[in-house]
Amino acid sequence: MRTLWARIRGLFLGHRFDRRLDDEVQSHLEQLADDYQRRGMTAEQARLAARRAFGGVEQMKETYRDRRGIPLVETLTQDARYALRALGQHPGFTAVALLSLALGIGATTAVFSVMNAAMLRPLVGRDVGDLVVLAPERDNERFLLFNPEFEALRVRQRSLSNMFAVSEQPFLRVEFRQQPPSYVAASLVSGTYFDVLGIAPAAGRLLAAADDEAPNAGDATACVAVISDALWNRWFERSREAIGTLIRLRDRDCAIIGVAPAGFVGHQAGQVVDLWLPMRPLTERRLLESQTMAWYSGVMGRLNPGVTRAQAETELTALYRHIQSLEPPLPPTMRQPPRPSELSLRVRDGAAGLGGLRRQFGEPLTMVLAAVCLVLLIASTNVANLLLARGAARWPELATRMALGASRGRITRQLATEGSVIAVTGGVLGVTLAMLVTPLLASVSFASLDVSPDRRVLLAACAATLLTALVVGLLPALRLSAPRSPRSLTLNDRSRDAAGSQRVMRALLLVQFALSLLLVTAAGLLLRTSVGLSGIELGFDSGHVVLLEISDETPGSSGFNARETPETRAQRAATYRLAEERLSAIPGVQSASLSWYGLFSMNDLSTPLIDPLRPEDRREAHVNFVSARYFETVGMRVMRGRAFTQADGFSAPKVAVVNEALVRERFGGRDPIGAQLTPDYPGEDDQPLTIVGVIGDARYNSLRETDTRSMMWMPLQQATYRIDSVDLRVSPGAEADVPRQASAALRSVSPYLMVRRTTTLADQVRNTASRERLLFNLSAAFGAFALVLAAIGLHGTLAYSLARRRREIGVRFALGAQRSSVLNLFLREALAVAGGAAVIGIPLALVAGSWLRAFLFGVAPQDAGTVGAACAVLVLTVLVGASVPAIRASRVDPVTALRSE
Amino acid sequence: MAHYLLLLMVHMDEVPYGALDLMVLKTLDGLGPQHGYGIARRIEQVAEGSLALNQGTIYPALLRLEQKGWIKSEWGMSENNRRARFYAITKAGKKQLAVEADLWSRTVAMMARLLEEPS
Repeated sequence: MRTLWARIRGLFLGHRFDRRLDDEVQSHLEQLADDYQRRGMTAEQARLAARRAFGGVEQMKETYRDRRGIPLVETLTQDARYALRALGQHPGFTAVALLSLALGIGATTAVFSVMNAAMLRPLVGRDVGDLVVLAPERDNERFLLFNPEFEALRVRQRSLSNMFAVSEQPFLRVEFRQQPPSYVAASLVSGTYFDVLGIAPAAGRLLAAADDEAPNAGDATACVAVISDALWNRWFERSREAIGTLIRLRDRDCAIIGVAPAGFVGHQAGQVVDLWLPMRPLTERRLLESQTMAWYSGVMGRLNPGVTRAQAETELTALYRHIQSLEPPLPPTMRQPPRPSELSLRVRDGAAGLGGLRRQFGEPLTMVLAAVCLVLLIASTNVANLLLARGAARWPELATRMALGASRGRITRQLATEGSVIAVTGGVLGVTLAMLVTPLLASVSFASLDVSPDRRVLLAACAATLLTALVVGLLPALRLSAPRSPRSLTLNDRSRDAAGSQRVMRALLLVQFALSLLLVTAAGLLLRTSVGLSGIELGFDSGHVVLLEISDETPGSSGFNARETPETRAQRAATYRLAEERLSAIPGVQSASLSWYGLFSMNDLSTPLIDPLRPEDRREAHVNFVSARYFETVGMRVMRGRAFTQADGFSAPKVAVVNEALVRERFGGRDPIGAQLTPDYPGEDDQPLTIVGVIGDARYNSLRETDTRSMMWMPLQQATYRIDSVDLRVSPGAEADVPRQASAALRSVSPYLMVRRTTTLADQVRNTASRERLLFNLSAAFGAFALVLAAIGLHGTLAYSLARRRREIGVRFALGAQRSSVLNLFLREALAVAGGAAVIGIPLALVAGSWLRAFLFGVAPQDAGTVGAACAVLVLTVLVGASVPAIRASRVDPVTALRSE
Repeated sequence: MAHYLLLLMVHMDEVPYGALDLMVLKTLDGLGPQHGYGIARRIEQVAEGSLALNQGTIYPALLRLEQKGWIKSEWGMSENNRRARFYAITKAGKKQLAVEADLWSRTVAMMARLLEEPS
């Protein structure tokens, strides 16, 4: 301990100690010389004799210094200083090395930050490790948990201390104190929600089981709400008066009873909830009791102490199967649910919440992370290679230092420090870069993801930097300081050692090019996917169509299955008719239409269509309700009969149009005009509809749809549900102005027609391929970056090889070699690298292709053409990288070369 | 040049590890405060030429002992009027000397027995 303290002191007072030692040695030598002089030597003889008797002054000083401070730290700072100086002397090398490492480490950190925020970051709450997510599954295929099953499970299970269900309401319209209504992100939750998550209120109280009782008939006012800290701040400026304030939701007044604590944003990463409401009072009884209608976003629970997830899964699965087996069988004509024995109730780790983002983005994010790790590996290998090339050129320096008494360990340490200085500087730059880029990266794909770095991100960044330091620092250091005889200074040994270094360098190059080949192949496959997806025949015309996402918030019973009076329907039909007129009147709008749901909006409804002639035929088809000019607006072609007109009004005969796929499926290609179908839509008077037209097939929700789905459309005026979507075909150039005017037009019709989002139909379609495009952009960028790095590495290796063999080339020329033969010598060396890289890289690329399978479209995962093209790009890069050193080699002047050594 | 420099690198530690410490402590205990030169000369005298000691070797040893708190040092004037650093043994040093001397003599006795024993 005392020694340690003395050493730490020595670390800082090093200079003073050095002076003291110098003085002491000087004094010693003088006394010794005095003695010798007294014995009769001359002053000069005595001085020399004293030095001999004393021994090596400098070695002793080094030993002394080693003891004085903490040698590792001391030599480290010394080496670091030395390394920084050396880097400053080679700005070109330093720039390439730092830039590539910073990009590698930065990209890795950024992608990991997003992944961490979307999938790994634990929820705020007590003992989140005990939280679990429950979902019925059959072979990894998710099934829905219906409310009666949830209730039965909750009452009977013993593994969990409790469980809750959540239903998301991302756009809940809230009216509050005469302010204009606004949208709030809300969650309908079981009363046990806060209790299970382990959250304590910041003010007031949180929801309790008693708040979540099913409503009594006629008692519609008992409703409570919990608000987020952010909303408390925004609406009430953190005043206690918030508690007890009434807010109006649809047709209910709900009293605010409490505020959630500041850090708590909800039960799911990437989602910010501002309002929590009890689920049962705000959900219709029929929905609560339904065995076939599910609306939960997810179910979570908390394990009892001592119960493992596996035990819970066993118990809950048995219980779930039992509950399933009690349900009455569905009529045989309907699509049958899976048998209970096929299903299991999976109990997954819930520390990070429900994990909707994990399901959606887990796979692509993992791919991107793998790609950036590859890039980092390539970048580190490249820098290691450049260091080796530079180190080999530093032979004489290193050998001299060894001769002067530096141990092998000391040299290794110094070289490793040099590499590490580069790696750590690159790491710091990279992490800074990541901090700047991550929020941008996150905002591209996620609306509200908190990507602020936490312990895990810092750890990952450190790990990336450490890995880089290992490759960049240790590899060249071990190689360069390999034991060798003191004769290393002579030419022959030097070239032998250098040949060893070159083998390592070539191996590193092979790795770089092989990994680059993998990335380029992946980019090629994704490029062909993007081209394939954009070349798909849509069946409608997405150009110049403005799309408004609408929410009709007109008060009145709403939502699923609500029985509406004909008067309500007629009223709504009139409102929509007026909206259609006003929208059509906007300058620049060629045609306007309203629909129940929009194209490529991921909304969908399929329902059985009954043929009145064969009532047992209840095959399902997708249905939508659209206004008269819908087909004209979106550009779908009428193949037979007619589309809707304004004459297909509320009280006109009920009609429908169908697509060609439905004609093929139900009518065997016969002319369906005049035939009848009855939609079996729950709660509706099932009147037969007469088919009046056939519309050309199209893609409706996804570019990847392989079979066109059977569709039937009905006039919005005849079956007036609340609309979700407005389409406006505009004259070219009017896209920018129309949305604002359209919003104003809708407001003038009804204050309850709210515009959630405006986009264009083309963007809507393009967005469905956004994952593929994102992956393509990233892999193309990474692939190009990797190739540039590899080319730089090759250039460095060959340039070094040229420097070493200048004399040999001189001899060749002197003996009559042609310039072309020397050029070939170098190109052959480069092409050997390309060949080797292809041998390693092609199998890797084929494996990568199969990983990407799920993202590919219109191209085989092991597409030979793509791999071939990638190889061609590789060879081209190799030739470019090799060209400069090769040409320079062919211009070596034999006379200068032979004289140079 | 390089070959010559390498020759300088021969190992300096021809005194068994730990023995030098003991010698320094014993010298300081017997002679009282001494400068480095005096300690080195004393050790050479005692060794009577059986020890090839590079005199410089004792400075790292002195530092080590000082760091352990077994000796202390201060500047003074040598007998022939030169500024020199004088080292003196501390209380802890005396205790350590006793321990090490005992250990050493036991080791020596054991080695002697081992070597004399007919194998």
